[in-house]
Amino acid sequence: MELTIIINKKDYAFSVDPSDSLLSILREHLSLTGTKNGCSQGHCGACTVVVNGKAVKSCITKAKKLENAEVLTIEGVSSNFILHAIQEAFIEATAVQCGFCTPGYIMELYALLQADPDAEKEEIHKALEKHLCRCTGYQPIIDAALLAQEKIKNS
Amino acid sequence: MKLFNKVVGTSIPRADAHEKVTGTALYIDDLRFPRTLKMKVLRAGVPHAIINSIEISKAIDMPGVHKVFTGKSLNLDKNHLFGTCIFDQAPLAIDKVRHAGEIVAVVIAETEKQALAAIKNIDVDFKELPFILDPIEAVGKEAPLIHEQNGKYHHVPTFVPEPQTNIFYKYHLKKGDYEHVFQDAEITVEDNFEYPLMNHAAIEPHGAIAQWDHTGELHLWSSSQAPFVLREVLADYFKIKQMIKIHIHIPYLGGGFGGKSDYTIEPLVALAAQLVPGYHVKFVLTRKEVFIGSVLGRGMKGHMKLGAKKDGTLVGIEATQYFSDGAYGDTGCNVVLAAGHNCVGPYFFPKCNLKSFGVYTNSAPVGAFRGYGHPEGQFMIERLLEKLALKLGMEYDDLRMKNFLRPADTNSLGQIINEHNGDIRKCFTQTITKLNEIPLPPEDESFFYGRAAVGLIKSPVQTANASSNVFLKFNEDLTVNISTGGVELGQGSLTVLAQIAAQTLHIPVSNIRINYEINTQLTPYEWQTVASMTTMRVGNAIISACEKSITQFKQNAALVWDYALNDIVYDGTKVSYQDRFLDLKELVLGYQYSDGHTVGNPILTTGSSVVRNVTFPDLETGQYQPYEWTFGSQGVDLKINKKTGEITILHFVTALDAGKVINPALARGQVTGGVMQGIGQALKEKIVYDESGNMTTTNLRRYAIPRLSDMPEKFSCIFIETPQPDGPFGARPIAEHPALGPPSVILNAIQRVTGISFTSIPVTKERMLNALKAGEK
Ligand code: FES
Ligand code: FES
Repeated sequence: MELTIIINKKDYAFSVDPSDSLLSILREHLSLTGTKNGCSQGHCGACTVVVNGKAVKSCITKAKKLENAEVLTIEGVSSNFILHAIQEAFIEATAVQCGFCTPGYIMELYALLQADPDAEKEEIHKALEKHLCRCTGYQPIIDAALLAQEKIKNS
Repeated sequence: MKLFNKVVGTSIPRADAHEKVTGTALYIDDLRFPRTLKMKVLRAGVPHAIINSIEISKAIDMPGVHKVFTGKSLNLDKNHLFGTCIFDQAPLAIDKVRHAGEIVAVVIAETEKQALAAIKNIDVDFKELPFILDPIEAVGKEAPLIHEQNGKYHHVPTFVPEPQTNIFYKYHLKKGDYEHVFQDAEITVEDNFEYPLMNHAAIEPHGAIAQWDHTGELHLWSSSQAPFVLREVLADYFKIKQMIKIHIHIPYLGGGFGGKSDYTIEPLVALAAQLVPGYHVKFVLTRKEVFIGSVLGRGMKGHMKLGAKKDGTLVGIEATQYFSDGAYGDTGCNVVLAAGHNCVGPYFFPKCNLKSFGVYTNSAPVGAFRGYGHPEGQFMIERLLEKLALKLGMEYDDLRMKNFLRPADTNSLGQIINEHNGDIRKCFTQTITKLNEIPLPPEDESFFYGRAAVGLIKSPVQTANASSNVFLKFNEDLTVNISTGGVELGQGSLTVLAQIAAQTLHIPVSNIRINYEINTQLTPYEWQTVASMTTMRVGNAIISACEKSITQFKQNAALVWDYALNDIVYDGTKVSYQDRFLDLKELVLGYQYSDGHTVGNPILTTGSSVVRNVTFPDLETGQYQPYEWTFGSQGVDLKINKKTGEITILHFVTALDAGKVINPALARGQVTGGVMQGIGQALKEKIVYDESGNMTTTNLRRYAIPRLSDMPEKFSCIFIETPQPDGPFGARPIAEHPALGPPSVILNAIQRVTGISFTSIPVTKERMLNALKAGEK
């Protein structure tokens, strides 16, 4: 089937299989490899992107449902070599180790803090709880999330 | 001397962070090549069987399919086995399968979908055999033989199998009068313990891409911690006589934890690619395949007995550990060895009688996993010391303090402990002091509150001649490229190694670039990135290369001035002699006089660090020299919900004698990450097989690794710094260590407050609740 999706502010027309996931469209059709595949089963959160303002797991999101949807991936977060506040926060809080979970976390927080810059700590926890990180022990990721929120508020 | 000499010991940001937060860091599945075919495999689905036949003709005719093959169709036989210790496995099954995840057929096709469709059209006829998963049953007389050829496989002399059994390796360590271990004991305690099979669960699945070019050279990209081991194994397997004809490339790794060390899927992917010369063949495991078809970790059942005097002085230890190492033993050998001699923990025993067995079973093969044979023994001894303290009526902490290894004591291997090995008593007392800063609430209606602290020790397990080597070049602008075969798998090596170089050279750390991509054609030899040794071994190689660079600058200046080398001073920007100086830029390509002629050489050096004095185990006594140790201690405050059995970690304290912390934020990250892995092992993680011998824990829900909500309410990390004399700036290994203590310390805290003694993990919420209920009756 034919389909148009707006990805990182550009229109793309695809012909897709009904079974294709958004993740496979991003990675295999467009080589947007910043979005990671950790499980393809909706369990790890590494594939998280923002669709119409909401964080979704792209591995379990069918592409066919996304006609005219606006998708933001990690490649669309920073522009002209300038990092987004969330990205800065991940660096400053040492929330990156192997980095495989990182784009997913950043997109999750992007959706959350865009919608509600004043999100309560519990909401932040709830959002991050959907993701798995095997390296950091989570503490640095929480630290990064709170730092990002502070940066966004102060900007 | 000026500036830039303070970067060691500071938390500079990670060198790779920018690439990783922007999604531009490339991992194996992100690599794109022309003419790429996809590979998919058919796995046995039965744990132990003879392959009667495999029908692949239908699959070959499917659209997009280039090749379909089986072990038989390629005429593989006993001359097609590979390994590093025991050569007991082929790239795929030949006439027998030994675990349900074993690969029996491979399809190479244009697309993944086509490959999967073809896989569905392969029929296998098996003659099923009885299977066995329990390592103690597997050593019994009645047990089905998993490898009829056990004993006939090629193996290195140190790993001796027992033919006609499932034991592929038996290690026996004897210290002192080992036949009368408890002669002087006034009291003994003993118990049986179990540490289940686990999965590393790095968030990045394993992947590899292989291509054979038109001259017959092999190019392989892999998510591997061990490029040079791969090169050796592949050269041997494919009979490639010259290593220059093998090109191994390693991109960023999305976590390893030992699960990507040695080798996993690489020989098979290379074999597949050989059938379609010129094409790149790509194989990335699904999450399920990571569980059933890469390597697992641990899987120990054991018995331990301790003897002591009435005053608590330990006099002897006996332990027997059986490792369920799965279908193939090669990657398990050294784990069995390390587990054998390290199960005594950080305690002094005049007599030891320690046996460990590597046993074939019908699970996926088992290999390295963060801790490498140490967590199993640490678990047993720290649990058993609780029992001993109770029986003696002695304070738990006093019993430990009394028996921790002291300088001049000998460990189980007879090695003498020195002052410089670190201070475990300091680690332990600081752990307890830290816990005491927050009072533990008394039991109330809803919760029990428990506290405990344990000691830990780990030695890096590495081959006797393990080495790290680096190339260093100064560029014209005084930036520096350093090339190492050490793999950045998340631990932060790129950053820490740059700090070591910057401080040695007295130049800004931003001027140092450590390569992240490894290419065995360009990168100097590195044994493999395991054993927490990168900071130490590669760090030392870098210091040596940096010092040689400094000498070269001085040599160039000496030629100009005609002074003796020793009188010349280097400070990171210039070299000087009394009031004369030359800017480093004037010397970096050699010195050029105003008329153009040039003396001296461009600054280009190498550095090496070879493990010294490590020997092979003696076959009779088990004695040998491994490398030295890192001591530490861990403590916990936890609460147990009386109604639900839920265990919440309130405060987790880790104290390690790190020698010298090069980057505190990164070191802390190793601790929080390692502790969480240990908590997962204590409370959640266990590989489970069903009655058919198939694994049921094949996704990240059923195999539950810790989530954010499992995180302790508070982490404390304490670093003691007793310098390691041969470590870079005094540093010693710390990366695996934080994962060691959580199971024992958590179970000890549970026992102290509920009286319930668990001897196996994980203690899930359900298990805790059932035990609490049983206790009420
Ligand atoms: S890859 Fe989508 S949740 Fe794991
Ligand atoms: S940093 Fe490795 S999985 Fe999160």
